[in-house]
Amino acid sequence: MSTSQAIFAGWMEIPNSAVNQDARSQTEQTAAEEATLVALVSQYAGTLYRVAFSVLRNPADAEDAVQEAFLRVLRHRDTLDEVRDRRVWLIRIVWNIVLDRKRRAKTRPETDDVSELARVLPHSGLSAEEIASAAQHHAHVLACVDRLPVKEREVLMLSAFEELSSVEIAVVLDISESSVRSRLFRARNLMAGLLNHERK
Amino acid sequence: MSPSEHKTMVNLAARRGDRDTGEDTLRLIAQLPAPRGLEDRVQAELRAAPRRARVLSWPAALRSDSPWMRSAAAAAIVFVVAGGGWGVYSRVQPPQPARVIVMPPRVAAPGSFSSAAAIRTPNTLDGPVVAIPATKKPAEVRGPDKLPALAVQKASRRLQAGATKETAIQAQAQPAAK
Repeated sequence: MSTSQAIFAGWMEIPNSAVNQDARSQTEQTAAEEATLVALVSQYAGTLYRVAFSVLRNPADAEDAVQEAFLRVLRHRDTLDEVRDRRVWLIRIVWNIVLDRKRRAKTRPETDDVSELARVLPHSGLSAEEIASAAQHHAHVLACVDRLPVKEREVLMLSAFEELSSVEIAVVLDISESSVRSRLFRARNLMAGLLNHERK
Repeated sequence: MSPSEHKTMVNLAARRGDRDTGEDTLRLIAQLPAPRGLEDRVQAELRAAPRRARVLSWPAALRSDSPWMRSAAAAAIVFVVAGGGWGVYSRVQPPQPARVIVMPPRVAAPGSFSSAAAIRTPNTLDGPVVAIPATKKPAEVRGPDKLPALAVQKASRRLQAGATKETAIQAQAQPAAK
């Protein structure tokens, strides 16, 4: 440190030890944040992938969405300590990302989704006929889900995740728990009506 | 999910009666396992990402950690505060007295009405004064007894001025003769 710097540092009452201590604590904090981030990835990457896949129905897109979600977490890692329920917080992030992507890719034909789904769904132990029948059924159900109103569709899709309670669904969608229940009730009725109608 | 479980679920979904809501399909999708290596790929992506979101990457000497930058920032703050204070001080002007027209108090004449809610009216000018023409007095008529006295006075003055005794006697005699 030059003489003038030393004078300035003395005048500003910033001793070198304090500066070094600040740098050290900052390094420690960064390391702790990185460790937290690694733990979050290993703990919740699978859950986030499933949430993303349930909307996008494409493995590559779902993986991209998960990566984008964790990049957003990296950018806002300073606020990680303020988050109460990190799992719900992460699901909310990835939910917003996939909805945005879905909105942008609305022009894409949905037949791609169905064929992709038939390829991805587990079918070991089933005969070829059963696989074809199951894929047809899934495609039919997903087509009915797509015809639901947006609010009901979102609640129905999130309710399929057994790890999410109605309270957590309400937090993800930023609505009340009673709204979740009423929307889920309407969605089930609509789905039953659509599937029966199609069957008849 | 094992294949047998999946088969059961698919069969149940396919053969369900009236109340099929399609939630089995959604649950099946929700229970799909994540692809292998997903976590590693995400970790690698995070490691490759920039540590801090920055618009500009500052050189190390200009970062806020260095004492030079702290000193410069403190000096800039002091300069701005002092300059702002001086700017305000130099622009402030002393307050000027308010321009108020002081009206003379209206003094009500004793015994008159009060001046409450009265409208001020200017004093009227004095009106023209009519001059009364002076009349001539009649001249006083002197009495006959006053004339000799004047004559006596005149005569005495003449005597004093060296007049002759005779004229004085004549003068005394004339009124007696008359």
